[in-house]
Amino acid sequence: MGRMIEKFNDHGLFIKMFLVMVVSIIAVSVTITYSTIRMSERLFMDTFSITNTKVIHQVKSNFETFSNSVATAANEVQQSGTIKNYLSQGDTTSLEMAKLYYNTHVQMDRAHLNVDDYELSMMVTGVNGRSFSTDRANWVADEEQIAALDLTKNTLEEPRKLLYQLDTENGAPMIVVTKALIERTTDSIYGAFYLSIRESEFKRFYSSFTSEGNDLLIMKADGSVLSSNRADMIGDAAPELLNEAAEIEEEGIDFREIEWQDTRQIMLAEHLPALDMYVVNLIDQEVVMDNLINTKTVVASSFLIVLAAVSIVFLISRRMTKSLSQLVREISALSKNNFDQYVTATGSFETKQLAYAFNDMLDELHNYVEELIQTQKKQRNAELAALQRQINPHFLYNTLTSVKIMVQQGNKEKAADTVNALISLLQNAVGNVHETMTVQAEIDNLKSYVFINQVRYGERIQVSYFIAPDCEELHVPKLIIQPFIENAFFHAFNQKTDGFIHIIIFKEENTLVCEIIDNGDGMQIDSRHALPDSRRNRQLFSGIGVRNVHERIKLLYGSEFGVHISSNPGEGTHIRITLPIISSNNNPKI
Amino acid sequence: MKKMMMLLMASVLFLAACSGSDSADGGGGSEQDSNKVTIWAWDPNFNIAALNMAKEMYEKENPDVEIEIVENAQADIVQKLNTGLSSGTSKGLPSIVLIEDYRAQSFLQAYPDAFHDMSDSFNVDDFAEYKIAPTSFDGKQYGLPFDSGVTGLYVRTDYLEEAGYTLEDLQGIDWNEYIEIGKKVKEATGKDMITLDPNDLGLIRLMIQTAGAWYMEEDGVTPALAGNEALKQAFEAYKGMMDADIVKPNSDWSQFVANFNSGDVASVPTGNWITPSVKAEASQSGKWAVAPIPKLSVEGAVNASNLGGSSWYVLNGDSSEAAADFLGKTFGSNADLYQQLVTEIGAIGTYKPASGGEAYEKADEFFGGQKIISDFAGWTEEIQGLNYGMHTYAIEDIMIVEMQNYLNGKSIDDVLNDAQAQAEAQLK
Repeated sequence: MGRMIEKFNDHGLFIKMFLVMVVSIIAVSVTITYSTIRMSERLFMDTFSITNTKVIHQVKSNFETFSNSVATAANEVQQSGTIKNYLSQGDTTSLEMAKLYYNTHVQMDRAHLNVDDYELSMMVTGVNGRSFSTDRANWVADEEQIAALDLTKNTLEEPRKLLYQLDTENGAPMIVVTKALIERTTDSIYGAFYLSIRESEFKRFYSSFTSEGNDLLIMKADGSVLSSNRADMIGDAAPELLNEAAEIEEEGIDFREIEWQDTRQIMLAEHLPALDMYVVNLIDQEVVMDNLINTKTVVASSFLIVLAAVSIVFLISRRMTKSLSQLVREISALSKNNFDQYVTATGSFETKQLAYAFNDMLDELHNYVEELIQTQKKQRNAELAALQRQINPHFLYNTLTSVKIMVQQGNKEKAADTVNALISLLQNAVGNVHETMTVQAEIDNLKSYVFINQVRYGERIQVSYFIAPDCEELHVPKLIIQPFIENAFFHAFNQKTDGFIHIIIFKEENTLVCEIIDNGDGMQIDSRHALPDSRRNRQLFSGIGVRNVHERIKLLYGSEFGVHISSNPGEGTHIRITLPIISSNNNPKI
Repeated sequence: MKKMMMLLMASVLFLAACSGSDSADGGGGSEQDSNKVTIWAWDPNFNIAALNMAKEMYEKENPDVEIEIVENAQADIVQKLNTGLSSGTSKGLPSIVLIEDYRAQSFLQAYPDAFHDMSDSFNVDDFAEYKIAPTSFDGKQYGLPFDSGVTGLYVRTDYLEEAGYTLEDLQGIDWNEYIEIGKKVKEATGKDMITLDPNDLGLIRLMIQTAGAWYMEEDGVTPALAGNEALKQAFEAYKGMMDADIVKPNSDWSQFVANFNSGDVASVPTGNWITPSVKAEASQSGKWAVAPIPKLSVEGAVNASNLGGSSWYVLNGDSSEAAADFLGKTFGSNADLYQQLVTEIGAIGTYKPASGGEAYEKADEFFGGQKIISDFAGWTEEIQGLNYGMHTYAIEDIMIVEMQNYLNGKSIDDVLNDAQAQAEAQLK
């Protein structure tokens, strides 16, 4: 779990970037795909509606032509005296009847000419039981059967109207146009006119305009379907469609979208005022869309594009973020390595530039820090040097007092030596401007100091010098050893009254070692105060202490050099000073 | 992280696989097959039934040939043939077509290349002679004769008896005698002797063929109306019937059938193909008989005629060989088929070798035990062969109108002369 979170942090940038990109790409393509499909649907629907409006006009005009022909034929039959006689007269002589039959045939043929363009038959039946049909095979042949049909009854109920009726009872659906034949003077009905056309034939007025999902219906004013390219709907009542059609007609709009039989349909309608019928066009949006817009292909292709885009984004962002996160990792690891390791410059241009800039900054930082350290070292050194050079006035006062006593006692010789030693000491401390001096000079200096101390406090502490001959000309920082001698003088022999101090200087490998060994009281080395403080008024220099020496050496030459003290109470103290070998005065460090 | 990537990739590929679209396969087109024979004919009770029998017999022997029988109204067949043949393409046309003999010449002469020469497919001498002239052209036999249009006088023996006649009195009579009998019958029973459609001069054609005459000369082209003695007599007989008031008019086939089924008329002079319609009214069983058709009283007239009748024709095309083979082996030479046709449908063929069979000798109880098939077969041999020529129906249309003029009092010579003039003008 922890590993996973860590990994996530490692690739956080990549994951965030990649996810954002993926989400945006998908969102964009989904939106575009969706709106493309919607737009083409809309566009298609619009054009479809326009074409279908024209189609429906065409269908309407076809019907009007047809209904006009039918009305003309019916009128001719109605107006024919011969036919009236044929249907109303009783039997007469053969000759007269033959003429009547012949003329009726002629009249009917003439009336039929009006509708010759259509495959239909015309029939008349009369009150005298006679009938005439232009083609009995087309529809019911039997007069009695016709008389019993509902459509005959309807005709007689509304004798003045040309009725379009559907007959589904006698075989294939037939559309029968009927009208009662009326004697105008007496208003009595002498027969009926039937014009029958197969629904399949009737359908030809519009069937070429229909297709799957694009249906046409001819609806009567009572809401029943007179004819349709959908055979299952013929004869059905669909009042809701009729209402919609009436509204479309009333509002004068081209089309409207409706929900019908659980599907979304576009409905167009046109009123046929002469017949009081509606031509209704229903377009099933889904079926039509499925045929025309291949949603699958559109979706599939946009999906492929998304896939390609995501892959490219994946590769590019991975490459970019990889170098960036590496950079970040290296930078965060930098503090562990003291800022002295450069970051690797890889990856894109931006990342490289970033890495270069970072490395440059690192360089600058290094320089700056080094400079600062140097400055601080110099400052500290100067402080320490200044401290060293402050000669304790008490020391001077005590020494001069000792000289005065020697002079008063007349010990002129010794007084002169003491003054010489003091002079040499002061000369070295004040007069010499160099930071370092030769071991020889330092020893001379020490000897003067020891001499003065021995003059003042007697010779119970013997000081002996063991200088390796090859060390005499080597340089050491000024006043390095003096504080330890001073220390030994004033602190090591408080209980013991006499003893010795050995000063040994030799080379050990690449270091110069000065050892100050006494056999005095010794001390308990406290971890805190490794080096004891000085007591002021007996010291030569007021500002310098043993600890300062250690600090100064380290400041000057580094931490591998310094002062080491080992001591046991009652056994004396062993001080070991390690210094670099400096063979000349012109030491670059100082 | 890698696992996540794999998962992402996998799901992407999976989705891509899911969205693959299914491809639609193309529909196969129908190919013209030389082993498929399509036949057009009309009348399901007669021609189509006969075809189905022939098909059954033929397919037993030739299982690799597919026979398709399509029923069409005669008018449709005529119209489609005219359209198809005049456009010079056999596409959409059948391999075999049934054509009425009256119309045959108009097709054969207009489109001789469209029809398959059947001379070698059957023996012409096996068929009734009168069928050969209408079905052949330019010395080649194109049609295979099918049904006989041999006519008879169907009469109600019960009405005859009421008027004091027997079937014997109707043997060998002429049309004038027929009218006299009709008057008596009407007097005795109140029933009309005959039913006629004023728009169909079938009776006139029937009459003139008894005398071996036709609307046209022997050449089949020149109208022969003026001075046509047979035609003149036929017109006079027709008007005689009207004047005698023994005619019940009808306006179409259904009324025609209804008129004798209802017992309103005493006789029906027409082709033998009416037999099934007559027998359809079972209650009249035993009341009918068939007499020889009356003749015209011109020299050489016989008491036998023809009305209607049709023949099979093969149209040139991929399957014409198979079609000719089918016709040759069935209607062209199979006596058993004709026996079966007679027994099951009552269809009388014109194939002479089959006319002696058992089925022909069978007595029919509906017709009072008369062996009508045998009688028809006998009359068939007497029919005078005619070239119906090309314009039978065109001339008839003129005649129908002129007949009305004649009935209205125009003199017969004027009628025929006018008709001649019109026909010549129209057919030129």
